[in-house]
Amino acid sequence: MIELDQVTKIYKGEVLALYSISCKITKGEFVFLVGPSGSGKSTFLKLLNRQETADQGAVWIAGKEVGALPRSSVPKLRRLVGCIFQDFKLLPNRTVYENVAFALEVTGRSRQQVRTQVPSLLELVGLSKKTHSYPHELSGGEQQRVSIARAFVNRPPILLADEPTGNLDGDTSNGIMRLLAEINKRGTTVVMATHDQNIVNTARRRVLRLDRGRLTADEAQGRYA
Amino acid sequence: MALSLGYIFRETRGNLRWNVTLFAATIVAVWVSLTLFGSSLLIREGVEQATGRWRGGIEFIVFMNADATESQHAAIRGALDENPEIGGYDFVDQQGAYNEFITEFSDRPELIENVTPEILPPSYRVKPTVDDADVIEALAAQFDARPGVRQVTLPVEVIRTLQQNSQKVSVFVLIIAIVVLLAALMLIANTIRTAIFARRQDIEVMKLVGASNWYVRLPFMMEGTIQGVIGGALAIPMLFLMNNLMAGFVQDDYLELLRSLVVDSAVVWNTSLLVTGIGAAVGVVGSLVAVGRFLDV
Repeated sequence: MIELDQVTKIYKGEVLALYSISCKITKGEFVFLVGPSGSGKSTFLKLLNRQETADQGAVWIAGKEVGALPRSSVPKLRRLVGCIFQDFKLLPNRTVYENVAFALEVTGRSRQQVRTQVPSLLELVGLSKKTHSYPHELSGGEQQRVSIARAFVNRPPILLADEPTGNLDGDTSNGIMRLLAEINKRGTTVVMATHDQNIVNTARRRVLRLDRGRLTADEAQGRYA
Repeated sequence: MALSLGYIFRETRGNLRWNVTLFAATIVAVWVSLTLFGSSLLIREGVEQATGRWRGGIEFIVFMNADATESQHAAIRGALDENPEIGGYDFVDQQGAYNEFITEFSDRPELIENVTPEILPPSYRVKPTVDDADVIEALAAQFDARPGVRQVTLPVEVIRTLQQNSQKVSVFVLIIAIVVLLAALMLIANTIRTAIFARRQDIEVMKLVGASNWYVRLPFMMEGTIQGVIGGALAIPMLFLMNNLMAGFVQDDYLELLRSLVVDSAVVWNTSLLVTGIGAAVGVVGSLVAVGRFLDV
């Protein structure tokens, strides 16, 4: 599903973000990406949906080399790879419903599809009652749920999560983790960058550890440190 | 993937609402520049029409002395017949000249009273085969010095002055129009740029969820195109107004010559369509510039 082959990424020719990373993630896996700030976690994720391209080596997603895709094919890749972020990236002037519907509309779905899929997703993330609220009226956990609904509405086989619990308290984080586990159970591969030791240590999933751009550990049922 | 028209329409409307004043200012700039541009085209058309009228029937007149001898007449006729640059001529005898005189001054009987056919010069109305003002001038000069010739008159000077001045005006207006058109294009590009900036969050999300590049671009391009088309459409009544003003202005008899600068309304319509098309083109190009430079998809 995901394969990195000796990937190196250097920003502006001098900042080494990732150095010669090789790893494979198979379909349906749940993988934590851990490491201190600046270790290259976000860059790792950005290479997977072509927000960045590798300077050396190759990134493969579902049999296609991401860096070699023509520009016009990037949108197709991004429909395979959903994303959630620490800061949610919700559109403030749109309601919960509209934020989720937006992802369907801009990928050209019919009104009928939008009308049926958005409510079922809001139900999955437990926000059926907040359909017409605006993001600023929601708690952080609720906002992250909206963003998960939006990322998952196109049913992508891969979900990238960049510190999704970074702004949330413990209980709320656990709720988000349960939701991600549920999505993973439905067959979606989840790659999650995190600082949160508790979450990693409780989940006992595969852990990829990065340190200053190098992959220093890859443990099947790893712990944070 | 089908592009949903509803979506594009909604997004474009949203963009337009976002900054009404800038939108309006851009339209006014396009409007003014396209009005100038259209006017310069109409002036050119008018000049073409005015000079064309002369060009088709350009002729010079060789006036003979009233007492020119028959051999002098024969010499002139011979010279006219021989010259390959002369297509034909009509001879107007003294009686003919008198008839013309009566027609022309029918409202001034005191003039007619004092004139008899015998004192009026007979003349040759000569039609050259060429329409170059210089050649015709040289041609006419050949007859000026011949015995029995009283005077040769030709309208070349009038045509030339008209042509030169009108062309100067037309070029001048066209240059201004192009400069203003460029300004309008840049203004459209800037308006789109600010719209792109205002919607950068939406754009980021669109890209992340995999909206196709055209889905991201089209609402902005629509906005630019709408500005261009509205500006062009607003220029249409201005063009008609100017043509009508011109028509009213040249109603006075002594501006006979300028009258041919007023063009037919069909011509104004054609120019209007062209101007609206150019407006649309300016809008498309302006927004393409902005989208290309500031929208990294």
